[in-house]
Amino acid sequence: MTQASDDPFLLVHAYCDGELDPANALALERRMAEDPRLAAERDRIEALKRAMGKLRRAPMAPPGLRAKVERAVGMRRPAVRPTWSALAASVVLAAAISVGATWSLIAPGSAGLVGDEVVGNHIRALMSEHPYDVASSDQHTVKPWFNGRIPVSPRVVDLASEGFPLEGGRIDVIAKTPVPSLVYRFRKHLISVTELQGGGAPPPERTADGYHVIAWRAGGVTYWAVSDVELDELQKFVKLWHAAPALE
Amino acid sequence: MSDERTRFANVVLPHLGDAYALARWLARNDSDAEDIVQEACLRAFRGIAGFGNINARGWVLSIVRNTAYTWLKRHRDPKVVAVDSVEEVEPAGVDAGIDWASSPASPEAALIERADAARLEAAIAELPIEFRETLVLREVEGLDYRAIAEITGVPIGTVMSRLARARRRLMVQLGKEEK
Repeated sequence: MTQASDDPFLLVHAYCDGELDPANALALERRMAEDPRLAAERDRIEALKRAMGKLRRAPMAPPGLRAKVERAVGMRRPAVRPTWSALAASVVLAAAISVGATWSLIAPGSAGLVGDEVVGNHIRALMSEHPYDVASSDQHTVKPWFNGRIPVSPRVVDLASEGFPLEGGRIDVIAKTPVPSLVYRFRKHLISVTELQGGGAPPPERTADGYHVIAWRAGGVTYWAVSDVELDELQKFVKLWHAAPALE
Repeated sequence: MSDERTRFANVVLPHLGDAYALARWLARNDSDAEDIVQEACLRAFRGIAGFGNINARGWVLSIVRNTAYTWLKRHRDPKVVAVDSVEEVEPAGVDAGIDWASSPASPEAALIERADAARLEAAIAELPIEFRETLVLREVEGLDYRAIAEITGVPIGTVMSRLARARRRLMVQLGKEEK
């Protein structure tokens, strides 16, 4: 992506799109500092990018379209799913009932099933208009949100400066147990990180229907990351997530 | 549900909103966009066995893009998409960066940013389809150059120059003071 053109004005576009490698980006930054025409072009491109960002978010598909598509391929209409608020209410109830009981451990050996459920929860979130129950880029808002809803508060880290801003959190249900999931964004893709107490040895990375799943264990907790970003991006995310300091 | 339908539900349906957005920008018309998405979904369903398990969103968007081209050729003005390469029609020097940037007409960044959404949308709609699809794949769908090159079937260098030209046209349009 660096030898494509020597035209510095073209390179400014690639720079604004984050497509230059660090060395070339640095070299271009020096040139922009010296050449006001290049700097002005950068300002215009960034202004245009901001203006386009303010356009109506990608229009949602019209309400009937999904049904038409499902009919066209011979799918039955899916059963109506409970709304998030109803689900959240029942989760609070479930959490209340389990007070004093041992937080259920996911049985070892069920990793494959758990993986399916993690992917299923992620897909359902993608399809919903709200992929999270609490929408916030502030880890100080997201973490406390789980308090009082489920018995465990998840590990939350801030990776915004690495290109993975926090978008929010939601409660998923895995093996009939409510569990916390965090939602991060990478470009236009969402990454769900689900935290499970206990569990056996994490299964190897896998890919199903275009979704990559990476599981790892740390401090008695199994984490599951699922997304349709490129596999190497998800691996990078997992590495950063693991290394970053957690919010107390 | 059959395996194909389950797979379709997992691979294609989560990206219906993105598919519709792309179709709408290419067709510039809501009802055409719906027809294109439906046809693209049928194609995706028939081809679901061939989906290689990587990047469902890119796969869906490339089907929508190809369907849009054939659909627009069949149902709308064939000339709209008959030009194989807009670069051949428009010599490279016409809006080369250096001339443009040093010309006194270079608009201020602030003027571009203040442009209202309707003007911006209209300016995007007027772009040649090759420029428009590249810009929309980048700024609306958030794809990187490599993914855009794969979907539109051109080298990354062409993606880069199409993006630059698309943006330059918009800057000139938006930089004009409103009358």
